Amino acid sequence: MPIKEKRFLRFASILLAAALLLIGFARTGQVAFAEKTGEAELEGSPLHPTFPLLDEDGENVLDTGNPVSTIETCGACHDSAFIEKHSYHANAGFDNMVPAGETLTERAWDTSTGLFGSWSPVTYRYLSPAGDEKIDLTTPEWIQVFGSRHPGGGPAFYSQSGEKLSDLAYDKDSFESNIVDPKTGELTQWDWEKSGAVEMNCFLCHITTPDNDARKKALAEGSFQWANTATLVKSEIVKENAGEFEWNADAFNEEKELKEEFLHIQDPSDNNCGLCHGHVHTKIDEPLTIKDISETEERVTLTTGQILSSQRILDSGLNLTDKESLARTWDVHSERRLKCTDCHYALNNPLYQQEGDESQPDHLLFDPRRMELGSYLERPLHQFARGDSAQSMVAPGTKNSMRTCQDCHDAQESHNWLPYVDRHINALSCESCHIPKVYAAAGMQFDWTVITTESQAQIQLRGAEGKDGVNSLINGYTPALLVRENDNGSKTLLPHNLVTTWFWVYGADERPVPLRDLELAYLQGADYTPEILAAFDANANGALDEKELRLDTEEKASLIANRLSAQGLNNPRIIGETQPYGIHHDVATDKWATQDCQVCHSENSILTQETQLSTYTPIGAKTEFTAGSNILVNGEIYTNEVGESYFKPAPAQEGLYVFGSDSVGWVDTVGLVSFIAVVLGVLLHGGLRAYANYKNPGHEIKTEKVYMYTVYERFWHWLQTAAIVILLFTGLVIHNPSKFILFNFKGVVTVHNILAAILALNAAISLIYHLVSGEIKQYIPRPRGFFDQTITQATYYLQGIFKDAEHPFEKTPQKKLNPLQQITYFGILNVFLPLQGITGIFIWGAQRFPDLANSLGGLPFLAPFHTLIAWLFGSFIVMHVYLTTTGHTPLAGIASMIIGWDEVEVHTQPEE
Amino acid sequence: MQKTNFIWIYGLAATLIVILLPLAIFLPEETKVSTDPWENLPQHPIHTDHSSIIQGPFETGQDVTKACLKCHENAAHEVMQTPHWTWESEPYEIEGRNEPVTIGKKNQLNNFCIGIQGNWTGCTRCHIGYGWDSAEFDFSNEESVDCLACHDTSGGYVKGGAGLPVEGVDLLSSAQSVGIPTRKNCGDCHFNGGGGNAVKHGDMDSSLYYPQDDVDIHMGKNDFLCIDCHRTEDHLVTGRSISVSLDDKNQIACTDCHNNVPHQDERINSHIDAVACQTCHIPTGATRDSTKVYWDWSTAGSDDIEENAHEYLKIKGSFVYESDLIPEYYWYNGSAERYLLGDTMNPEEITSMNKPLGNIDDASAKIFPFKVHRGKQPYDTLHNYFLQPKTVGEGGYWTDFDWDQALRLGSEIAGMEYSGEYDFAETEMFWPTTHMVVPAEQALTCGHCHGEEGRMDWEALGYYGDPIDWGGRFSANR
Repeated sequence: MPIKEKRFLRFASILLAAALLLIGFARTGQVAFAEKTGEAELEGSPLHPTFPLLDEDGENVLDTGNPVSTIETCGACHDSAFIEKHSYHANAGFDNMVPAGETLTERAWDTSTGLFGSWSPVTYRYLSPAGDEKIDLTTPEWIQVFGSRHPGGGPAFYSQSGEKLSDLAYDKDSFESNIVDPKTGELTQWDWEKSGAVEMNCFLCHITTPDNDARKKALAEGSFQWANTATLVKSEIVKENAGEFEWNADAFNEEKELKEEFLHIQDPSDNNCGLCHGHVHTKIDEPLTIKDISETEERVTLTTGQILSSQRILDSGLNLTDKESLARTWDVHSERRLKCTDCHYALNNPLYQQEGDESQPDHLLFDPRRMELGSYLERPLHQFARGDSAQSMVAPGTKNSMRTCQDCHDAQESHNWLPYVDRHINALSCESCHIPKVYAAAGMQFDWTVITTESQAQIQLRGAEGKDGVNSLINGYTPALLVRENDNGSKTLLPHNLVTTWFWVYGADERPVPLRDLELAYLQGADYTPEILAAFDANANGALDEKELRLDTEEKASLIANRLSAQGLNNPRIIGETQPYGIHHDVATDKWATQDCQVCHSENSILTQETQLSTYTPIGAKTEFTAGSNILVNGEIYTNEVGESYFKPAPAQEGLYVFGSDSVGWVDTVGLVSFIAVVLGVLLHGGLRAYANYKNPGHEIKTEKVYMYTVYERFWHWLQTAAIVILLFTGLVIHNPSKFILFNFKGVVTVHNILAAILALNAAISLIYHLVSGEIKQYIPRPRGFFDQTITQATYYLQGIFKDAEHPFEKTPQKKLNPLQQITYFGILNVFLPLQGITGIFIWGAQRFPDLANSLGGLPFLAPFHTLIAWLFGSFIVMHVYLTTTGHTPLAGIASMIIGWDEVEVHTQPEE
Repeated sequence: MQKTNFIWIYGLAATLIVILLPLAIFLPEETKVSTDPWENLPQHPIHTDHSSIIQGPFETGQDVTKACLKCHENAAHEVMQTPHWTWESEPYEIEGRNEPVTIGKKNQLNNFCIGIQGNWTGCTRCHIGYGWDSAEFDFSNEESVDCLACHDTSGGYVKGGAGLPVEGVDLLSSAQSVGIPTRKNCGDCHFNGGGGNAVKHGDMDSSLYYPQDDVDIHMGKNDFLCIDCHRTEDHLVTGRSISVSLDDKNQIACTDCHNNVPHQDERINSHIDAVACQTCHIPTGATRDSTKVYWDWSTAGSDDIEENAHEYLKIKGSFVYESDLIPEYYWYNGSAERYLLGDTMNPEEITSMNKPLGNIDDASAKIFPFKVHRGKQPYDTLHNYFLQPKTVGEGGYWTDFDWDQALRLGSEIAGMEYSGEYDFAETEMFWPTTHMVVPAEQALTCGHCHGEEGRMDWEALGYYGDPIDWGGRFSANR
């Protein structure tokens, strides 16, 4: 065997082995133990060797009783320092802190775009920028509050100067060394030595049964160094008793290594991700329920309603409207056994390595070189592939690193039923149709201008009747389709939930009023202060219900403002912020996706459907979209008379002209007015004619039969008539389908296109006929005397016709058209018809040659233009048909166009 | 001149052609070719009201049959060719056996009531004949065919011992009510297999008399009769079960009515080569009434154990019943092995009475759901074969609770040698799950078989692991 081939084979087998090993790592555990033990999820990877748990000095925890150090323990084989350094999950924006107000969000108090330094309406709390007088969170309290959704490492372990927090030298003014004393509001020293810091928590994501509750408890209690140890409580490796942890010697073998039955190391499962990222339900036979949507674990579900499960919705335990009909699963990818990590993989995972890197030679389709598996396992990047969603400022380094829908799916292949497929794919994200609805409640409004006795915002959910995420009736909601500017410059519609927050800010350097000050303003112990009750408690029952606890009057608002001012908060005022949250999960298969054209192509298009932002609006407050996202907000936010705020999108402003939904008001107005004017004019003229005829019955006119129109001319004319009438009608249906619900939009579009082609062909052939036969002359006004003749003809229509005068110009086969007709037909056939054809072709071509169509202004220009001319055509037809009745008898003109023979007046005076 | 007045007709025609022709060509056709399963349903004959045709009086069932045969001369002859009458198959050539064998209730064992020989009176109440109470029953007597068992629509016809009508049946009104077989005619025997409602099959029970929509999509929502699928010609009812047949001649298939490529989803259709329709569309058995999954004869006869129809009966021994039974899945190519009376068995092992045939390499086999009924039944410890006890009637076990006597009497009748030494050995019997098809939205989804919680034992089926990782059975990984 030639060496080359041998090498290739060896290489290929290594590659295969590596791939299998990886698959094994990910899957074998699940499969081998799939038998109905019910304990399946306890099984980790069979590949992972057993190991001792080490403390931060590298000593076995069984000997020292110290908390486990993941950096030391896992670092024995994996490069834990590398992992920590390359993990946005740990870093949370810590390495990219900027002075307050200089982030993309433009919030005056944001210092990063990650969890550490970026404000969220859901939690409200914020890391105080250095130098603030009133302080909300300093680093230690940030860990207590936000640690529940942070895996440790980064800002939970290091100070901004780079040293370990636990070694930090004390500085009385530092926001890292101190914590706010809730009693005084002043800084007081935090004992880092006692609390320790939080190392990056490998267990949280890599064991099958992480004890997140115990971990959160340790963090909230300030027992930072024990947080990672607490994660092992449920695995019974360690026992917790009143905040004290004791290692379970039975979980270790003689070498003081973890026993195999306690070893459940695995690739992160969906359940691990679900600890922070929203509701995950993997048990297919156990009905899905949500205990409390405001739990930390449900954060993503709270902001978007997304639920990740392979269960059919009808099998869930949720109280959903029409649940029995919901035979779809929550998420088709989950149904088809994809895991979170299949899309959000570690970026250097050789199994998922992305092709098409810029550095790759153009001719190379596949680069088989892969990182050796051992290297990957030693230094797996903990930067995970991600998309390009609304919160696009998070983890900017990995933006758009994920495979998109179209990297895996060939939409062309599966959408051959869809007319104008390219046009649709260019304008719509896959999610727009494949996430037609979210079947859960989601946050709509967080009102932090008031607080409940539990120091929570007044929260309103959308998609649910009632506020209780569990017991209320869930209707789900249709996401708002907003235009997103993608990284590559394209713009697509994407489904979003809009979360609006109302809150107090104060000071010249705008800051949210710290929660402590809000509590002070509203609460006295666990209850509202008497002043608050007096002002808010309308029904005087001693408690504030949802309708009372809102700043809906000037009195209530100024009471709070005054109280806040009195607490030293300068110029307190209410602002609003509306944050779009992209929805990318809960994808439905074709059967459940939007397929009905009229969902978008109608007057009630979801593209322009208003989305409710709030059920009430605090007095004088206005909301604005969060700055810095990649959502192009076009539309209008308005508050109605009962105080509800709405957003009505206007995607047309982003170049999306949607047939059936969009129309340009003045075009339709001008068109309709001209049409009606013609109809009225015709009626008036006809009425006067009839009246004149009644008063003064016409004299006998001498006529003769003339063969006026050839067979071809007649055929051409009537074919054109039929085509134009059908085109006008189908065009009207396309323009306003909701008025013609009997018609299938897709079919009507096709008929319109086919008739347009017939009309064009008919016109082309007749043009050749007229050119070759010379008949074209009839349409071209002869310059000499043209104006006089025109005036003569016009005078006839305005005066002579009522006096039973003779037609001023003789109609002969050689000269069928009078001067007025000449102008009209010249305009219609040589200007309007071609214009209508050209705009039509470009509208049709928006799919096929979008660049050319766009260079002519794109659909937003072409479509209204086409509509305008269509109106004029309609008006012309009315006029034209009327004028055919002005022959010597009303129906003579039409009859002649049918049979070819016309009776024309024999004029007494010779022609000029 | 005059004829030009009609030229507009030609003109109109030409215009219409020019417009309609392109429309006909270019308007997208509805791609859905009609694959309407309804088109494949049999048409029922128009019912002839027999109430004025049939005159009584009738003393016996045989009298009724005689009256039927006056007009339907061939009917009894036809019935007598079918297994409903013979309770026995045509002789099969079976690999490894010297002579052709027949399979059927008439001559073989199961692991419920074990066998009918010697127990005719009790068992043949479900035979479509009259008077089969001994080996001497005349299978050629046309008058013994029971027409009413299948054709009574009055609901008042009930069969008793040896298949004779019970006391008090109004034979005249039954006879006048005759019509095409209803769910009750079939169900009275088939829903009660094993001696009671739902006992034997796990996919048939009395809920099918008047099924709700979701019990069985065909009989519930679509109001099918049994014979809509079990199409019948010349009294030969189609359908096969490996408890009493070994081949799939005359078998019914979903594809008799449904398209071969039934799903719109390619991914689902790719399963069809390896997975039977029933596997996904009948996710559980015994959804309404619990079914017997275990029967241990060895504990019978005790007065110390408390009786309870679903746990213990002195005459029968101990049982386990289960509801919402998740089927077991095996490769199945339509035929089965069969333990025949007199075959040597190994008492140390579980003996399969009718192991389904097929394996991962057998392209004609598919993964199929079975209710497996396991139990312990008597065998001869010297000859190492299962015994046929006499249970019913004089000297039978249910009368005297004497195993030795029951086995001796039974063996004599079955023509087997009995050494006098007996014990109980484990058996299993496979019941294909094929009825009670649920609505599509209740069918299994991917995760029911694939992934952590999957119900398939892939390695037992012959895969290296979950085919979602390893590929299908004919992929390169195998």
